[in-house]
Amino acid sequence: MSTTNLVNTTDEIFPKQTNKTYALVELMRGDGPMVGKGPDGSVFSFPVVLLIEIILVLGVTLAVFLFSLLKQAPLEAIANPLVTTDPAKAPWYFVGLQELLEHMHPTVAGVLIPTALVLFLAVLPYVDRSRDGVGVWFTSLRGRRIAGWTALYTAVLMPAYILLDNAFSLRELLRNKTPEWVAQGLLPLAIIAVIVAVPALVLSRRKATPREVLIALFTVMIVSAVIFTLSGFFLRGPGFKMYLPWQMPNGYNPLNGL
Amino acid sequence: MSVQTHQNGSRWEFITQSRVWRSFFRHGWPDNPLDRSLVMTSNIFLHLHPVKVNRRSLHWSYTFGLGVIAVVLFGVLVFTGVLLMFYYVPSVERAYPALRNIEVSVPLGQFTRNMHRWSAHLMVLVAILHLIRVFYTGAYKSPREFNWLVGVGLLLLTLGASFTGYLLPWDQLSYWAITVGTNIAGYAPLIGNAVRGILLGGPEVGQDALIRFYTLHVALIPTLLVLGISIHLWRVRKDGGLAVNDSVTPAGEVPADEHVGGMQKTSEKS
Ligand code: HEM
Repeated sequence: MSTTNLVNTTDEIFPKQTNKTYALVELMRGDGPMVGKGPDGSVFSFPVVLLIEIILVLGVTLAVFLFSLLKQAPLEAIANPLVTTDPAKAPWYFVGLQELLEHMHPTVAGVLIPTALVLFLAVLPYVDRSRDGVGVWFTSLRGRRIAGWTALYTAVLMPAYILLDNAFSLRELLRNKTPEWVAQGLLPLAIIAVIVAVPALVLSRRKATPREVLIALFTVMIVSAVIFTLSGFFLRGPGFKMYLPWQMPNGYNPLNGL
Repeated sequence: MSVQTHQNGSRWEFITQSRVWRSFFRHGWPDNPLDRSLVMTSNIFLHLHPVKVNRRSLHWSYTFGLGVIAVVLFGVLVFTGVLLMFYYVPSVERAYPALRNIEVSVPLGQFTRNMHRWSAHLMVLVAILHLIRVFYTGAYKSPREFNWLVGVGLLLLTLGASFTGYLLPWDQLSYWAITVGTNIAGYAPLIGNAVRGILLGGPEVGQDALIRFYTLHVALIPTLLVLGISIHLWRVRKDGGLAVNDSVTPAGEVPADEHVGGMQKTSEKS
């Protein structure tokens, strides 16, 4: 190792004698320097973004404030492990799972399906590796149509499944005819799987992109979750039996359970 | 400042020129580009944002402000939650009477409880809506995959926070909702009963469950949420702001890659 070497390298990177006092940094198309506005239509975060955020802080706080003046948080009688409430419902964000439990084996409804949903969310960005349509709602007009039709499809089939299975319960019909894991496990799981897979299959036959297939699957997931939650929350009364919301027996009001 | 009288002006200047003031505010009044930039870069909270942002990322119908609303609700929850902690006792005998006390005799107690409960429900809803908007705008795509995963973690934590809080009033509603909820966890083959046992600290919902839920609710989950939200917001910035910035440049503006082209040309010349 020699010091001369080191000096030479430094001299190459930072030449001591240069007759240039300026450098060309960038070429731009357009009328002139960025006067008041960046090259890509940007605005100063201060005060614009800050103001938007202040509006959101005040608006959200005010909304919750006003609602809290009008509606009291519920407090029922002290907990009593010996007296079950009827119905006993999970919090609203889990009541969709509770509805699902009515239709199939607990391991399927309570474990397999929720695990599958979380896994689906976790792997989804690695399945769709294209960068097309980033930052555009539904990516394209076709994407928007796919979302719309899949939403409609799910909004028809899932309620139909819930109502049919409620009227002609697979669990009851097949009791003692097939083993439990068929009547309550395999069969309902297959029905759900078919409902979920049909839009994706139709799309992949029409040369859809991974993004478009994901839009279909995601839409089925979200719309189903909404439907199962609404059904569990509004349509289930005492004994977790199905009633019309305005015909609940014993004066039960689902909204009191929030 | 020029409109002020001479005496006020000098007094004002005496304050704003003092070493104390200038150690707090390392920039002038933000009425020019330089100071507007310094406001953002010299303040830890505002430094979450870049100095300038793309106008399109601020369009209301792009984000509906849902992520920010979730952060605001989390703030409301921490504030009202700490107030409630001054009165709440996580004991099977005393929890319910404490709630009654909060509602009847603590000034603004019922109102604070209302704020806490309604914000909690709303935060779960808003986090789900935020996930939906991020999905449909394709904002999970590269390089934002990791932040999407952080988001999934945040959603699970938000659900966890809400669920553990649900038990604390120790009334019939909370007792049976948690019984139903933890039964669902118990359905997992092999590990189900173990998971349920770890959550409840015993075979059924009782004092052991209450203290576990309380600790999760006021200590562990909020800490993880603060950490997670910090990483999440830092990543938004590191990934180049909102995904809408990556999409096509509107006509008449210079596409980003031409800048790069220009730079390469100059470096070749020199
Ligand atoms: C505690 C819950 C959450 C909070 C407080 C939060 C907060 C935020 C904020 C403030 C933003 C900035 C943009 C905006 O306002 O939309 C953002 C962006 C983002 N969030 Fe969340 N978030 C949460 C949950 C989630 C979830 C559940 C997901 C998805 C699984 C997610 C994924 C993302 C992604 C990928 C971005 C970047 C979006 C883009 O580039 O357009 N976040 N989040």
